[in-house]
Amino acid sequence: MLVIDCPYCGPRDQSEFSNGGEAHVKRPDGSAEIGDREWGEYVFIRANPKGIFYERWVHSHGCRKWFNCVRDTSTDEILKIYKIDEERPKLDSFKNNVKTPSGEPNLGSGNFTVKK
Amino acid sequence: MSELNLTDNKFIQFHQKIGFKFDGVKYYGYKGDTIASALLRNNVKLIGRSFKYHRPRGFYTCGIEEPNALVQIISEYSEPNTRATIKKIYEGMEIESQNRWPSLKTDIGSINNIFSPVFPAGFYYKTFMGPHKNFWKKIYEPIIRKAAGLGKPPKEFKAVSTHLYHNVDITIVGGGLNGLIAAKSLIDTNFSVLLIDFDDQLGGILNNSNKVQSVNNQTPMDWISETVNEIENSKNIKILKNTLVTNYNYINHLIAVEDKFVGSRPLKDKVNSTLHKIRTDQVILSNGHIERFLSFQNNDLPGIMLCSSFEKYMCRYGVMPSKETVIFSNNSNSESLVFSLIKKGFKPKAYIDSRSGENIEPGLFDLIRKNDIPLYTNSQIKGAFGSKKLQKILVEDSSGGVNEIKTDFLCLSGGINPDVHLFTQSKGLLDWDEKDLTYKPAQAFQPTITLGSASGQFDFNSITKEINEKLDIFGIKPLQINLKLNTSHKFKIEKLWEVLPQKQTIWSKSFIDLQNDVTTKDIRQAISEGFDRIEHLKRYTTNSMGTDQGKISSINALGIVSDLLDKKVNEVGTTIYRPPYAPLSFAAIAGRNSYEYYDPERKTPIHNWHVSNGAVFEDVGQWKRPWYFPINKDETMNDAVQRESKNVRENAGVLDGSTLGKIEIKGKDALAFLNLIYTNSFSKMKPGSSRYALMLGEDGMVKDDGIICKISDEHFIATTTTGGAATVLGCMEEYAQTEWPNLNVYMNSITEQYATFNISGPKTRNIIEKVFPEVDFSNEAFPFMTFQFHEYEDTPIRILRASFTGEMGYEIYVPSNQALKIWEKIINFGKEFGLMPYGTETMHLLRAEKGYIIVGQDTDGSITPLDLGLDWMIGKSKKDFLGKRSLIRSDTVRKDRKQLVGIIPTNKNDKLEEGQHIILDKEIKTPMPMLGHITSCYQSPTLGHNFALAVIKNGQSLIGTKAFASTPELKTIEVEIVEPIFYDKENTKLAS
Repeated sequence: MLVIDCPYCGPRDQSEFSNGGEAHVKRPDGSAEIGDREWGEYVFIRANPKGIFYERWVHSHGCRKWFNCVRDTSTDEILKIYKIDEERPKLDSFKNNVKTPSGEPNLGSGNFTVKK
Repeated sequence: MSELNLTDNKFIQFHQKIGFKFDGVKYYGYKGDTIASALLRNNVKLIGRSFKYHRPRGFYTCGIEEPNALVQIISEYSEPNTRATIKKIYEGMEIESQNRWPSLKTDIGSINNIFSPVFPAGFYYKTFMGPHKNFWKKIYEPIIRKAAGLGKPPKEFKAVSTHLYHNVDITIVGGGLNGLIAAKSLIDTNFSVLLIDFDDQLGGILNNSNKVQSVNNQTPMDWISETVNEIENSKNIKILKNTLVTNYNYINHLIAVEDKFVGSRPLKDKVNSTLHKIRTDQVILSNGHIERFLSFQNNDLPGIMLCSSFEKYMCRYGVMPSKETVIFSNNSNSESLVFSLIKKGFKPKAYIDSRSGENIEPGLFDLIRKNDIPLYTNSQIKGAFGSKKLQKILVEDSSGGVNEIKTDFLCLSGGINPDVHLFTQSKGLLDWDEKDLTYKPAQAFQPTITLGSASGQFDFNSITKEINEKLDIFGIKPLQINLKLNTSHKFKIEKLWEVLPQKQTIWSKSFIDLQNDVTTKDIRQAISEGFDRIEHLKRYTTNSMGTDQGKISSINALGIVSDLLDKKVNEVGTTIYRPPYAPLSFAAIAGRNSYEYYDPERKTPIHNWHVSNGAVFEDVGQWKRPWYFPINKDETMNDAVQRESKNVRENAGVLDGSTLGKIEIKGKDALAFLNLIYTNSFSKMKPGSSRYALMLGEDGMVKDDGIICKISDEHFIATTTTGGAATVLGCMEEYAQTEWPNLNVYMNSITEQYATFNISGPKTRNIIEKVFPEVDFSNEAFPFMTFQFHEYEDTPIRILRASFTGEMGYEIYVPSNQALKIWEKIINFGKEFGLMPYGTETMHLLRAEKGYIIVGQDTDGSITPLDLGLDWMIGKSKKDFLGKRSLIRSDTVRKDRKQLVGIIPTNKNDKLEEGQHIILDKEIKTPMPMLGHITSCYQSPTLGHNFALAVIKNGQSLIGTKAFASTPELKTIEVEIVEPIFYDKENTKLAS
């Protein structure tokens, strides 16, 4: 179980939180001028990368505040947590251990037991 | 009885005799005995039958790694698969052997052993494929299920367990020599420390063997008691005994289960086990090593045991499993057993070592020579033989000659493995050590320290150095521990995984996994069939997939596979060790979240009134709602619902609607916010009026509905469906925080603060005027879809004129603590007008007659407001609201979407059912194109026949045509497709 450092309450067990999927997905307004593709991508398409991922969490069994988080999905390591109105940290400020889309970090994925 | 001396020690209280039953026979042991040690005291060596071939099996080990000795504890709700080598006995304990019928000595299933040549690896996959697909479900599976498996499920089991949370700086797993030294060095430091051991006695190898002569010039026992005493008296270290760490999760999160009734019968209403959930900054793994076995023909016979286990039975329990044993080894670990046996005056019958004389430890060599023990160097055991127990072995000596030795016992050692299970669970990586022939921890992923044999450090002389170096990060004072040994301090081993049999027949078996009956032949066959990846091989052969997870054998399998494939062991790799380390019961995991505490029950403020008035309840989410109110015990549900419905239409009824979600929304921008959340426009609404509203997902599908009451532009109260309350509030909060943080708006759930009573029926006004005489309920003063605040005996009340039945009606909102008073008042004043309470089923029937939908019943997340014919609810002039843009997506404007319609049977006596498909043809043929299905269906007391709501393709244009409803018997019922409204189409009643 992860420990998530809620920016309002401090570190708590993951069971107090709910995941809200990819962060920084901008919602187009609902007007008819928005194209089918743009709207469809907003509604249905989300990134699901292995490696560095910007995602949203809500402290649903706590302060009920939403916040953003950068997590390495290949190792589950939480790299940064920041409030909704704070600026998105740059991707190159994190070390990405996964070389290709289907790559695997040497340590921490849990998929290997033997040192290479 | 095979016993050593009978003086009490800290392990066994010899003055306390304990009687217990095994397979109906009464035996005696002593306080402190395990089932295994007590049975060995009584010369019982046959403990169970094996999983697949039903071969006789004995005690192979003396600990948690045991593959064979699994028993059923009859006196504990018949708990199955209990390891006899760790479960302690108590007075009156009843134990049964497993996987045998009719008895352990004569087991019919052992015929599988004779047929074993036809049960190779992959047997089930290859054999049970035909001749018809039903054969597996109906014939093969029931037979196989009966024959296979370990114990039988427990009976009448009601577990009591609890969870305990710890947040500490350092957790030491394993209180053996290394764990105790580590804990000792942390005494009275600023770190909070947990020291966890599975045993009830700390000390590990010091208790279980004679390897160590003295620690700091004290006897090992004196050193342990002094050290444990110091630790117990320290301010910062807590010891958890009888506690097994089963999981090592991410972020140093450990799960450990503590047995609260070791050596006594669990009390029924006391906590039997505690599940410790530990979050810690640093983990120290000092959980030791496990000895492994060797493969040769019939290496599973009762009477074969691991060397260190034999020594543990002697040192720890004072039991001699045999007075004359033969020892077979390829490594140093057998030395201390030889030493212990000679010390106690029981010379081994023979010592066999695969190593040459000069590679055997000099101390061991001298000991054997001095005591005239027959020594076979460069030799191997070709096979073990006997009926239900070991009787003789065949030894191939250095010259190649084969010698027969008669013996009833054989001790084996195939090497030792660091217990890396928890380390790999923590995502740490291992590396193969070519010298010690085992996998050792190489790279930790989390803050993990491994110590002693758990780290692969097998040299006793390096213990202090290693601990001082690795614990240096804590900035503590180094300790000096001086060990004197009875045996050599270093570990040496020569490669040996398997000895091939003297004569190979189709029945000869050399086991590689004792619990799952996997033989080395199965491994060869799997590889020859192409399953040469270790994870594939494991699943194909089931090697190391038993409850012991191959603790004494999985490394041997890797050795054999690497030889067969001519690859390095590191290239073969290991399978991933998965939690738990050893089986733990579901009861321990469930803790208090079981039975009546599994899910909270929510009750309305007047629940007790419903109970005392005979309501039958329905679960709606976590809520208990009155389903219907039978007037006597003979009234069926159908009769009650017909009566309640008719009464609402003719007189009046009252429903407890308190479970409806209620959300209060306030703020300068509350109006703008609600205009974005719901499809409707609330801008032109007057304060004091209310509106039926729809909430969509961004995909345009109906997610929830409710009534919005406008108190002012800055203050609203919204109701939601019973099940949708939490989701709707969550959705509002999400959008308020993430999409429109510029809007000044706050929302709060007030569901449980207010009870809601829905009164409806033609006589409603007569009743409610009596209850609230000061209120003017005339159409002019209180029109449909308006609400008013009133005081009733100092209780603030909100009355809303709305209806979910089609009759004129009011909803009364009362603070929960005053609810019963008002409810009883309504019931009492209503009596003369024929008012009756009604339940959810009647509510469903009445709303369906009126064509009102239930979100989640008539919709399923794929229905838009347009599909429901609710176009009028969409605020078309609004620029934006949730899901607005989706209403003009190509999919939502499709012509053949499923749309809501009404259905009535052409023959009024026909009965319809929810879920029936609507089709166009009278005759059913496959494939049958379906138009849609019935979502709601009731017998209407008003219409006198069945009616239904359905969602069907292109439904709105099919109104007025005929179709058919299909039945499970492949018959059809002719139906008419009609408008989805069956009662008061002109809405005259609502406004009456």
